[in-house]
Amino acid sequence: MVRGMHLTRIGADAVLLEPGEGLDPGEPDRYLVALGDYLQAARARRLIYDLDSVPVVDALYYDWLKAVHGLCRVIGVEMVVANMAPSVAYALAARLDEVPPFACARDVERAR
Amino acid sequence: MTGGNMNREDGETRSANEILVEQLMVNVGRISGVIEERGHNIFVQGNILSREEISDYSVEFMELFVMLLQHEGRSDRSSEEFRALQQFFTTMSQQILMRGGDMEEFVRYLQFMQNVMIEDLGRDAEITPEQTRETLLLLAGVFNDIILDVYRVYLEQKESTIEAQQAELREISTPITEIWDGVLTLPIIGTLDSSRTMVVMEKLLGRIEQDRARVVLMDVTGVMAIDSQVSHHLVQMIRAIGLMGARPVLTGIRPEIARALTSLNIDLGDVTTRATLAEGLKEAFHWLGVRMADARTPA
Repeated sequence: MVRGMHLTRIGADAVLLEPGEGLDPGEPDRYLVALGDYLQAARARRLIYDLDSVPVVDALYYDWLKAVHGLCRVIGVEMVVANMAPSVAYALAARLDEVPPFACARDVERAR
Repeated sequence: MTGGNMNREDGETRSANEILVEQLMVNVGRISGVIEERGHNIFVQGNILSREEISDYSVEFMELFVMLLQHEGRSDRSSEEFRALQQFFTTMSQQILMRGGDMEEFVRYLQFMQNVMIEDLGRDAEITPEQTRETLLLLAGVFNDIILDVYRVYLEQKESTIEAQQAELREISTPITEIWDGVLTLPIIGTLDSSRTMVVMEKLLGRIEQDRARVVLMDVTGVMAIDSQVSHHLVQMIRAIGLMGARPVLTGIRPEIARALTSLNIDLGDVTTRATLAEGLKEAFHWLGVRMADARTPA
């Protein structure tokens, strides 16, 4: 288990990450190594990051998502962000000055 | 002679309010009759107000005006009596505007009311020039405030009409349609300014979520010119579509628009572009795994 997030294996090679309330996106170093360990142990090929319970993606949270994506890329795991709410997408698109490095899917089912 | 002098002295101490109240009391029938008649000529003949409405308004105006003049704080524009008179004219002007009446006519009607009272001053031989001046100033002050209020109401009504028309125009100028299961089209016509982008994006992202759209075809055939602001909004929309998990396809980019985009050094990212909406739809079918067959071709 990794503190601050709920990880579930779905299907043969995918892992679903549901962030919990205890997650501090400002401290990626507290989670990344443990997350990498989990993904490798699970032989994951894909990490589905579920934003369903995330009401706002600000600059800090976006950097956290990029940090998770960076880790996944290095260990050969594709990261897909799912369930972004319209208001979150709207605000994030208005602020971004780059194409997000991670893939996005409408929901977890489509991200698999 | 002595009695006449006494009256003269009493008359000289009367305030502008008292003079007007006295005039209105004595000549109420004649003044309201004249005001009513003019109201009939303007509003009844124009089918804006009925004969009964004009009569009711005339009576109410006279009552409210007398109440205002009798109020102790004579020049107090925040008094309840003055507010009641303002409200009366606000309601009347709103009704006239809603029924297609002319604001200029209404203001002329207000000026006519004022003139009727000024003319009546001339009939009172006991008023001194100083009292006449004060009374004229009082009338001018009250009626000017009322006319300003009426214009404020008129402008507010105009603004709300314009806003409603703009909202309607925005609504019909960005029709988002699901042309295939999971495929939305968004034809963009005209210019994408900040407020329109906001409306379009809100609607579009909501539809992506609601219809669980996989592909969004943004057709810019109707965009005549593009500048850095428009292209910035276009990029924002493309990004937002991608974040929602749908694939954006930009169609209908005319050579002039393409040239402008390269001149502006705009990076559309990895968005797919196609020349026409039909080509974009083919691309969407390709992604969705939909195969089209020509029914005329024998199997």
